Amino acid sequence: MDAAIATEALKLRRSPVARTGWLAVVLGVPALTAALTAAARAGGDSQLAVKAAAMLTGTGLAGYLGIVGQVTTVAMLVTTGIVTAWCFGREFVDGTVAGLFAATVSRRRIAAAKFVVMILWSLTACAATVLLALLAGALLGLGPPTGDAWRAAGMDLAAGTLMAALALPLAWVASARRGYLPAVAALLLIVVATQIITALGAGGWFPYAAPALWLGMGGPEAAATIGPTQLLLTIPVSGAGIWATTAWWNRAQLT
Amino acid sequence: MTPASPTTGPVVAAQGLTLWFGADKAVDGVALTVVSGEIHALVGLNGAGKTTLMKMLLGMLRPDAGTARLFGEPVGDAGPEVWSQVGHLLETPFGYGELTPTENVIAAARLHGVDVSAARRQAGEMIGELTLGRWADRRSRVLSLGNRQRLGLACALVHRPRLLILDEPTNGLDPMGVLELRGMLLSRSHGDGVAVLVSSHHLDEVAWIADRITVMHRGLVIGNLDPAGVDLEHRFFDMVYTAEKEGPWTQPSPPRP
Repeated sequence: MDAAIATEALKLRRSPVARTGWLAVVLGVPALTAALTAAARAGGDSQLAVKAAAMLTGTGLAGYLGIVGQVTTVAMLVTTGIVTAWCFGREFVDGTVAGLFAATVSRRRIAAAKFVVMILWSLTACAATVLLALLAGALLGLGPPTGDAWRAAGMDLAAGTLMAALALPLAWVASARRGYLPAVAALLLIVVATQIITALGAGGWFPYAAPALWLGMGGPEAAATIGPTQLLLTIPVSGAGIWATTAWWNRAQLT
Repeated sequence: MTPASPTTGPVVAAQGLTLWFGADKAVDGVALTVVSGEIHALVGLNGAGKTTLMKMLLGMLRPDAGTARLFGEPVGDAGPEVWSQVGHLLETPFGYGELTPTENVIAAARLHGVDVSAARRQAGEMIGELTLGRWADRRSRVLSLGNRQRLGLACALVHRPRLLILDEPTNGLDPMGVLELRGMLLSRSHGDGVAVLVSSHHLDEVAWIADRITVMHRGLVIGNLDPAGVDLEHRFFDMVYTAEKEGPWTQPSPPRP
């Protein structure tokens, strides 16, 4: 295996941040959404039951997977953002970045390897979350997956992956500001901005809002306005972040 | 492109290296060579510019003026052929807390172009040579300061470089570690022909190992000391005090060009 990818993969596999983040998504999302669905199905007029019922975009397993998708989009953005911030920013905070200079593997390649392992981390987290959610759906007695449920699971996977891709540009903040905390601050800003822009009704064209709206977080009318163009805005945003980060690492100095 | 053989010219050749940090000239027109088989020591007070100079030689900082060549190649153009022959230890020793010392040394070797099987073998040898065997399979974060320094040295040496640039390598080492390091540097330099540039605050240590001593003060090279002479400490402070008295720094710095 490529030396840079092998090294970055080992660092990520051993990292408590990466492990905790992965488990938080994979276990937390199905558990939380299962609890919400159970509350909605139990009926009653408690505040939780009413709010949970409002999140349901359909009935049965497909409805449950709709909630899973909405929560997954937020979870993937936040956890991928935090782990990406750590993956890049820790080199500066821990002072290990000096060891990445004067090496036969270029720093651009090391940054690219970090992106490769982060993409694998987020894809496996997203896929495992949806798989566990399918299992949780079966345990809730929502029945076996039908065509609608498989479609909903596919949408969850797609939306979660898009949100993970949108978290990758935080690597640039962690690098240029030489630490993970500035990137975490930028992540919080993105979450707040998403809320405000969505509330103003412009979320469909804001890449960080579009995937969740597509899954019905803003209701069926908002979901109907989201097409492939809005979702694919992810590609230039994520791509520009990755390009800027690798270019930064290529030119970086150890000031 | 193959780097020039170390025997055909200096391994390190710097000329007029200058770097400004804002209004301060951190390194001022420094010329320096290191040849194969010699240990060249840089000494100076804190803030003299030793580390900054080393960072420029390693491509970590780009000079505002001057040139630096490693194996005949300008540092800015140096590729894998050059860097595979350079080992360094600057500031924080290389080592990720979540990896074991063995894994860290293997990673350092691989990032310097050593293939997997050779990296494993050479890492095992380095762990033994630096007496890290007891901790080899524990997480590196549990290592003491001295053992972290040993790990950093193992990472700097594992790919068998022809040039070593070490900033304060005795930091945190116990007396035994200092002796071991002295032996390693002498055998690699005088035995194997490795060029070594080392900075140190410990003048007695420098006197033991250095073939040449360059004194830096306020970013300038202010002279050389003979390591074989007597009372090195006295001669060092004489040189620094004279430079301080006669130097231009009582005047405001000229503006940055």
